[in-house]
Amino acid sequence: MKIRLSLVALMLVTAACSGGGDDEGDSADVGPLEGTFSVVAGTCAADGTRTGSFFRMVNPGGTLEEGPFVANGDSTCADKTFSPLLPGTDGGLTTTTYQPQPDPAFADNGSGLAALITQPTPFFGVAFALATNPTDPQTGTEVSPPRIVADEQGGLSGDLSALGVAWNQQHFNQGSPKPDGSRPGATAGPVGTYDRATGAYTLTWSTQIVGGPFNDFTGIWHFEGVFAPAAA
Amino acid sequence: MRSRTPLLALLAIGIGLAAAPVAFQMFSRAPLGGEMITEFAPFMRAEKLDAFEGHLTRVGSALEALRRRGEGLDHPMVAPLAQEWQAIDADMTSMLDDIRDNIDNYDAVAALPPFPLFPWFFVTPGLLLAGLAGAALRRRDAGLAIEPRLRYATVALGLGLVAAPFIFSMFTRAPLGGDMISDFKPLMTEQRIRTVQGYFLTIGAAEGALRTEVAPALDPDGPRVPEVYEFIGKWPAMAAEMAPMIGAMSDNRDNFDAVAAMPPFGLFPWFFVIPGLLTAGLAIGINEPGASRKPEPDSRPQPEPNPRDTPRSETV
Repeated sequence: MKIRLSLVALMLVTAACSGGGDDEGDSADVGPLEGTFSVVAGTCAADGTRTGSFFRMVNPGGTLEEGPFVANGDSTCADKTFSPLLPGTDGGLTTTTYQPQPDPAFADNGSGLAALITQPTPFFGVAFALATNPTDPQTGTEVSPPRIVADEQGGLSGDLSALGVAWNQQHFNQGSPKPDGSRPGATAGPVGTYDRATGAYTLTWSTQIVGGPFNDFTGIWHFEGVFAPAAA
Repeated sequence: MRSRTPLLALLAIGIGLAAAPVAFQMFSRAPLGGEMITEFAPFMRAEKLDAFEGHLTRVGSALEALRRRGEGLDHPMVAPLAQEWQAIDADMTSMLDDIRDNIDNYDAVAALPPFPLFPWFFVTPGLLLAGLAGAALRRRDAGLAIEPRLRYATVALGLGLVAAPFIFSMFTRAPLGGDMISDFKPLMTEQRIRTVQGYFLTIGAAEGALRTEVAPALDPDGPRVPEVYEFIGKWPAMAAEMAPMIGAMSDNRDNFDAVAAMPPFGLFPWFFVIPGLLTAGLAIGINEPGASRKPEPDSRPQPEPNPRDTPRSETV
């Protein structure tokens, strides 16, 4: 029941970010999308409108729709609770392989250095870096590469348990479900939309942080862009 | 019957010692305590606390400088810090004082044998004692003498139990651990950790606004509010130290609760000394070897000797 409510909330969040998404529930899966989900850069206009890909964080006890959200002083948006994401050197999220963090994973100031999926994103003066690793660095659990499945109605679902963030010399799993398959708190998704003709997609998921300085905070991730199938 | 009692008591003490860790859930709790001791280590150092206090001083100085200029504090991301700073500073300083006051206590606990070994300090001598007492009982019941080596081993085991707390300085260290647990109890609650998480976000949000908006607007030609730039310049170091500390507090809440649920630290030495003294005393009191073969003196009236039973040679 809690998962269903979180999914509904996530739908609303997705709609707020990108203009809506289809319910993943009742449609037959068409199959996994193998390739790269390019990440279109997040931008914030002066009038407060936003486009592209973003990260947001909900305070413990908050909700995905209403927050309260954490304000990131480094955000370039007027609404500092949105942190725009910029595409990394791979252009986005790949489902055919891992996009692991480099070694070392951190700069001297604690900023994460992984830059394949998205560029390191300034957050409280220290950049967080997104990566997918065969072994989740926070939990030490082996995880599968990201898997995104499209259904006949153009809805997306999948498994992003391999996603993790490196920030301030610490690791935070940011996948949904979590590496152990659980969905604590408001962890939900991924859900999204996929236009088979153009490849345009949106993908949103929420993931409760378990452990560390942001224990019980919830990250909300919204990617959008174009899916490019891997070469056969 | 009287001679079996000490052996039964020794057997009971042995079983009790061996079972104590199960009763107190030490096998699950003690390793969690060990984790906590390890993860607290980086923060239980005076220089680390000095650095934290330096960071707090820098934040206060920056806010004070802005207050003197009458600018910057009304920024929506700086205002919460300016309004709450006195309370944040007082609360964080109090927390750091509590931690500083417990550095010696922490060191004393960290110098104890590794926590995961704790249950085995009960189980091992307990099983040995139960084994020795059981062996002695079997011999007693078979009407055999209790071998001296069984008695000596049991006495030695008892004396070893008595000596262990002295060897590991438990009488001085364990109560200090108890003091630490008591002092940290108010710090290791979910509400308290949430509060400190909130401080971090409030300070961090203000720093971001000062760095990206307020300071450049105030000082377009360069840093004329050095206190603000000092805060901004040191923020990465502050974040790098504060975030892991909050993480350690948050991640060890369950570990702390597990340790706090164990018997009071101050009692631990006595968990060895008392059974040790009992063991040694009871073992010393066991009958001398061969005592069980001695016939009990018969107090019944003895019949007069029959002259016919007298050896013939004596009558001749």
